[in-house]
Amino acid sequence: MLKWIQVLWPSFLVAAVAEAIFFTVIDPQELYLFGQPVHYGPLATYSIGFLGFWLVCAASSLSTVFLQRGADELNRRH
Amino acid sequence: MTMNSPSPQPQQAAKPNSPQSADTLYESRKKLYVRAVTGVFANWRWALVWITQIIFYGLPWLSWNDRQAVLLHLTERKFYIFGWVFWPQDVFFLAILLIISAYALFFFTAIAGRLWCGYACPQTVYTEIFMWIEQKIEGDHIKRQKRDQGPMSGEKLLRRGAKFLVWGLVALWTGFTFVAYFSPLHELLQSVPTFGFGPWELFWILFYGAFTFLFAGVMREQVCKYMCPYARFQAVMFDPDTLVITYDEERGEPRGTRKKGIDPRTVSKGDCIDCGICVQVCPTGIDIRNGLQYECIGCAACIDACDQVMDKMNYPRGLIRYTTENALKKHWGSKEILGHVLRPRTLIYGTILVAISLAFVWGLATRDPLRVDVIRDRASLAREVEDGQIENVYRLQVMNMTEAPRAFRFEVSGLPGVKIGGEQRVEVAPAATQAVTLQVLVPYDAGKPGSNPIHFQVTAEDDPSLTVREETTFLLPR
Repeated sequence: MLKWIQVLWPSFLVAAVAEAIFFTVIDPQELYLFGQPVHYGPLATYSIGFLGFWLVCAASSLSTVFLQRGADELNRRH
Repeated sequence: MTMNSPSPQPQQAAKPNSPQSADTLYESRKKLYVRAVTGVFANWRWALVWITQIIFYGLPWLSWNDRQAVLLHLTERKFYIFGWVFWPQDVFFLAILLIISAYALFFFTAIAGRLWCGYACPQTVYTEIFMWIEQKIEGDHIKRQKRDQGPMSGEKLLRRGAKFLVWGLVALWTGFTFVAYFSPLHELLQSVPTFGFGPWELFWILFYGAFTFLFAGVMREQVCKYMCPYARFQAVMFDPDTLVITYDEERGEPRGTRKKGIDPRTVSKGDCIDCGICVQVCPTGIDIRNGLQYECIGCAACIDACDQVMDKMNYPRGLIRYTTENALKKHWGSKEILGHVLRPRTLIYGTILVAISLAFVWGLATRDPLRVDVIRDRASLAREVEDGQIENVYRLQVMNMTEAPRAFRFEVSGLPGVKIGGEQRVEVAPAATQAVTLQVLVPYDAGKPGSNPIHFQVTAEDDPSLTVREETTFLLPR
């Protein structure tokens, strides 16, 4: 549970900041997805954008948590 | 801080009974049964609950210019805030607003510690509301703890179910209100009877609602202790003259029980009767008598609780009070404490805060409700037309930032004989952008071959003082 929070919470905060900055600068209607203009509604684009940012940030947090394991943890026999 | 007397550990600071692994920094959580408290600071907290929540729940219902007064309209990419309409180009104001908030936080924290956390933070406010509901349905902290430890019964199920139901309704309403800031409220309201919300609107209502429920109902102090970034760095804003909630150790120790009416000095004791109520009322479950701790959110519940005990004992109030490190050390009265509120740190924060706020107000007051972007048409650079004139084509984006339709006139200057061919006027709908294509003509010998600077002047027909001048270049063939 603690690991989940350590991964999901900081990434949520950073994703919120990233979302705000990204979509302030870029109009979602000007985005292209696989060469096609984005045809989702703006609200969907914002939402998918946020969840995407969250996912990317969570991946980063997950790697941090993963790489932070000490030798004891890695050597432990199960 | 050191403890002067070996005193029994208060019940809530006791070691968690479940074993914990050696490599975690956190102890496993013991559920807190927070005792309700009344008093001056409790009244302040409730006042802040009312003020912030009347604003939060109420704002989307206000109308202005026949539209929602406050609407951060994401689909239109426009923020409507009372008389103003903000565009993505106004992100500058948002940045300034964030800087103002940061400095306000620094300023108030330097003066009186975690005022934000204790009184105004949504986490505190919703926890307060949810704890009040819990208290009304499940009874006081003793009843709640007893029932939790007791076997499952019909009453337990009923009360817990009722509590979750009311929490859920409040949380859903909170989520609904949150989404109403981004999606027009009247459209959302129409969707309520048929439950015909857009999929993403529904998602965010449930998302925000679920997190309100989780944070305010279930996680509570853990959010402040483990999740809040601010709690981790607020200490850098403290200095020895910052007012913080402090237990007066010198006066209180050695703590201990005694009969009412006994002068504590005659039994060689301090004023603290070790009743533990300051710990029972603490929403984060700490003992303020152990000194300043990062878990302390500065809600002052322990001050209220202790003052009531002091009154009962006929001791002077303020064994736990807002005071500063220096005041405690040097035995200052309130006059010296107040005299140290103004000090270099607060003066610098205060000056910056006032300066940026003035700049913000000035920027808003002088903000031009007209903006023009000029883009050269890249398809045709320069073209010779009849009677030897040279034509360049420009695309102008005219943004009318007011909420009334407006007409604008174009003029061009910068080269001898320069003129606009065709339409020289455009009407722009309220709070809208209109793209205009302009052909600019000059005699072929008007300037040097290559690029020549010219200016567009865009002026509102109804208000000649509202005018924007934009520079661009005119290309003459070589």
